[in-house]
Amino acid sequence: METTVLKDDLMTPEVIADPHSYYRQLRETERVHWNEKWKGWVLTGYKECVDVLRDPDHFSSDRMGYLANELSPKEQEEIAPIFKVLKYWMVFRDPPSHTVLRMLLNKLFTPVAIERYRPMVRKIVQKTLDRVIDKGEMEVVRDFAYDIPMAVILELIGAPDLDREKIKEWSEAIGVFFFIKADEPKRREIACEGITALVNYIEPLIAHRREHPGIDLISLLISAEEAGQITYDDVLGTCVLLIFGGHETTMNLIANGAWAFMNNAEQWELLSKNPALIKKAVEELLRYDGSVKTTVRWAKEDVMVADKLIKKGERLLVSLSGANRDPLQFPNPDVLDITRDPNLHVAFAHGIHVCLGASLARMEAEEAFACLTKRISCPKLKEDAYLNYYPSVIHRALKNLPITFQKLN
Amino acid sequence: MSKIKVTVNHNRCVGSRLCVGFLPDVFDMNEMGQSTVIKVESASPLELVQTAEQCPQCAIRVEDTETGEVLFPPSELET
Repeated sequence: METTVLKDDLMTPEVIADPHSYYRQLRETERVHWNEKWKGWVLTGYKECVDVLRDPDHFSSDRMGYLANELSPKEQEEIAPIFKVLKYWMVFRDPPSHTVLRMLLNKLFTPVAIERYRPMVRKIVQKTLDRVIDKGEMEVVRDFAYDIPMAVILELIGAPDLDREKIKEWSEAIGVFFFIKADEPKRREIACEGITALVNYIEPLIAHRREHPGIDLISLLISAEEAGQITYDDVLGTCVLLIFGGHETTMNLIANGAWAFMNNAEQWELLSKNPALIKKAVEELLRYDGSVKTTVRWAKEDVMVADKLIKKGERLLVSLSGANRDPLQFPNPDVLDITRDPNLHVAFAHGIHVCLGASLARMEAEEAFACLTKRISCPKLKEDAYLNYYPSVIHRALKNLPITFQKLN
Repeated sequence: MSKIKVTVNHNRCVGSRLCVGFLPDVFDMNEMGQSTVIKVESASPLELVQTAEQCPQCAIRVEDTETGEVLFPPSELET
């Protein structure tokens, strides 16, 4: 692995396949490291990552603002459809406008609020597994992991009948812009088309909800808009964010978790014999190989992180996966241990931008793995298969996970 | 009036600042960027429970020290 770090490239096939070894080497040599190719600082130590994530006064999340500074007016015009929507995404905003939206939406995503959806999710999980269980094999990403979060987010926004295939296609197009395929030359055009199509699909739904309010998320956003708390752009941007963000990361968590269990069969056995460990198990899957590897911040002013001076405007790649394997925070960090406690991982980030959907993702993953460990055993990678991850600095996303298994009941 | 005790579990708190946003007279951030209780008397038991509910990590515990009753979190949310 020496050569990997010497190359200092976040996108080599070796690093995409095994980011943990790369982050470990960086952490052992330089916890706050300037990456010349990415033109920014890479943080791989737990303390350094948490210090930055918990300090929005010095570190901005205003991705679209900083991106605008880097682009020419012509380039800005080319990606206007993306800017128009993404600049209203909560994840890319700083206080105070972030705070207003977060406090409003948070009510729908608290651990208590999310519990209401558990019976519904349990049914979706059962039904999804029913479709493949008799075959003794499945492709985990497509046959299992995808359907669960997509069905749930559409229920939450009050539109269970939306066309899932279209939404998947458009979401993938938007993802091209900044998550997946950072090496795709036409990524901006592809993303513009995706976001325009999704916006055209969602706007009539918002208009319909304005006339016929319900108890769904869109209705809540509209009532906040009508009360003057947020704007129409906030409503639209947030709808796009929730549909886009609401399924892909959880899908990847379930797939990564399944793969982690397959490499640690004794932990699968332990959970299947002790179902009460499910909450701790999901926390450990999040820590061990979560679906979001990194998140980005920009220094608002000159500021020290550990022994390094970060200059105003410079960007920082906060490695959540790196922090989650820091031995100073987690004993035996490379071991999957579903009884680990405490386990204050940063898989959902930390600070004011901690994932809004964290409780939902946790509950969905709990239901998925509770069901799998109860109903199947000995999951194994299909003999002729080899695994591939999407080339992304941000996402830890398996392209597919074909497995065989034995049916229990 | 019953005596209410509020504690923040620092093995769970991720510093979302939501509690500070909802009840700035009760909660504040410490130097580690985690929430801490400064004045529990500044809010009613109901307000305290409603705010504890907003924590994405279930890091806030609200107890009635006279009856020993845990007002939040409910047992099914404890790991």
